[in-house]
Amino acid sequence: MFEISSVVFLQSILNGLVLGWIYILMALGMSLILSITNILQFSHGEVYMLGAYVAYYFSVVLGLNFFAAILISVMLMAVLGLVLERFFFRRLRAEFLSSMIVALGLMITIQSGVTLGFGINPKAIPSFAPGSIGILGTRIGSDRIIAVGISVVLTLLLFLFLKRSKYGLALTAAPQHREACILLGISPDHMSALAMAIGSALAAVGGALMGSTLVLNTFMGSTALLKGLIIVVLGGMGSLLGVVVGGLILGLVDGVVLVVFGPVAASVAPLLLVVVILVVKPMGLFGHEF
Amino acid sequence: MSSKRKPTNTLIILVFIVFLLLVPVFLKSSYWLHVLSIVGINVILVASVHTIWCTGELSLGTAGFMAMGAYSSALFVMRGELSVWGAVPLGGLLCAIVAVALGYPFMRAKGIYFSILTLLTGEIFRLTAWYYRSLTGGPLGLSGIPSPEPIKIPGIALITFDSKISYYYLILVVVLLSLLILFRLQKSQVGFTWRTIRERDNLAASVGINVLWYKIFAFAVGCFFIGIAGALFAHFMHLLAADASGKFGMFTSIYILIYMVVGGEKKFAGPVIGAIILTLLPEVFRPMQEYRPIVFGALVIFIIFFMPQGIVDLPYRFLSWGRKIIGP
Repeated sequence: MFEISSVVFLQSILNGLVLGWIYILMALGMSLILSITNILQFSHGEVYMLGAYVAYYFSVVLGLNFFAAILISVMLMAVLGLVLERFFFRRLRAEFLSSMIVALGLMITIQSGVTLGFGINPKAIPSFAPGSIGILGTRIGSDRIIAVGISVVLTLLLFLFLKRSKYGLALTAAPQHREACILLGISPDHMSALAMAIGSALAAVGGALMGSTLVLNTFMGSTALLKGLIIVVLGGMGSLLGVVVGGLILGLVDGVVLVVFGPVAASVAPLLLVVVILVVKPMGLFGHEF
Repeated sequence: MSSKRKPTNTLIILVFIVFLLLVPVFLKSSYWLHVLSIVGINVILVASVHTIWCTGELSLGTAGFMAMGAYSSALFVMRGELSVWGAVPLGGLLCAIVAVALGYPFMRAKGIYFSILTLLTGEIFRLTAWYYRSLTGGPLGLSGIPSPEPIKIPGIALITFDSKISYYYLILVVVLLSLLILFRLQKSQVGFTWRTIRERDNLAASVGINVLWYKIFAFAVGCFFIGIAGALFAHFMHLLAADASGKFGMFTSIYILIYMVVGGEKKFAGPVIGAIILTLLPEVFRPMQEYRPIVFGALVIFIIFFMPQGIVDLPYRFLSWGRKIIGP
């Protein structure tokens, strides 16, 4: 173990929180799609990666403002989500295994397609908010603070949308009783499409923020997919609070363990932690049986 | 699923086995024998995962258990001075024991929770091999893994395993044996109970079936054969490395899952056919280089959409089309 000062420790906690909030954006979409359309969206990581590359393309190659590029990316990815739902997942609605394999096929196709288009080398989006802010002796980039801010606001908006708005309530009702929803005039297909669009848009934001603050390469999707899966099962399916808590736990473990125990522990610890938590609570922290 | 075996099926299988036995006679290229040996290992893997899937649980820890079988068998021979013939089954046995030990806590989690648990456990196994440098060579890899010792049949022959051809036959024999065991198991009372659990686990429990132990048994059997496949892989490659993009990375587990469903998970032959075709296809598309993954992904989606029962259903579809055209 290394000797670490409290400042370094605090810094690692802050980094972990930043990581955690970006993971949460990614995992919220996965959890939403999984609980509403019952699809394990394996290509969600690639939507996230594609979102980052679209933002890169518009902000670096075409020279647009970064936030405008994020907005374009979000809209494009929402449309992509709709397309995926309509042409790929809708016809496999009741088949969990088949839809999962189609998602895996999409994952392989999109990943290698983007690698062909943009090349295998990592890209960089210049920081959208240069400079840093000091908190208790630690330095944290202002772009990361803005990223966390965006992430928190979007999570709250999603929470409000799902709990307060008519469409949000319809969305949560759709997976519970299909026939009853049809009788009430809620189309489960439209709700699935809505979930895919929202989920993909959130992934695009997460990807773009990740791409501008930490890494941007064509394999970021696979890493993010694994993190997203871990968060979804850690928090428990169908629980927004679970996703937020799971994401923060994972982010903190990633950030703190790396600094305190070194890289070996950092790659094993999160996996081990999730295995232990799932063994103790088989439905995740906040999960419940449908 | 009819329990009566059709004579045509037996005939097709026999012809196929004879064909496989004759392959090295007209295929001299050691490259293709290497590819076919990898196909054989994938077939064992996919049949094992299919056996676990009989209980309704998807294991994504294939690569991890394969790594465990491979490294343990290699180390039994290199450090423990064991014969390869003893080390390979021991590697499988170790995987089965670990599977029983892990199965007890893991099987409380169902569905995707179980899949993610096994995926993460597999990654932990791989990372252990990656970081435990003194034992496994770490990032440098474990090299110099010996081939199986020659078998001496007094007065008849001495079979050595230093060429691709002899190893091809060894893998073929192990694959056929494993498939036979797994097939008999899936068609037995145990296999019937497994499928009962997949359909309705609560109902199965209510008629006195010990759901937990049957699931653990399936998991252990699957992991045993995955371990055997890994051990064969180790003595075949002579070199093991546990990097994320290698054979022990989580993509192997995902690909095995794809083979299973694309082949058709409803029948025993489906996953086997899926593994054979989908492992050979990228070799056929080799000239296309970087476009291969795109073609593979698109093909997988295409097959799921247009052959929902998998590739194995294709002959039956042709038959029913034929009947429609010709008339009954």
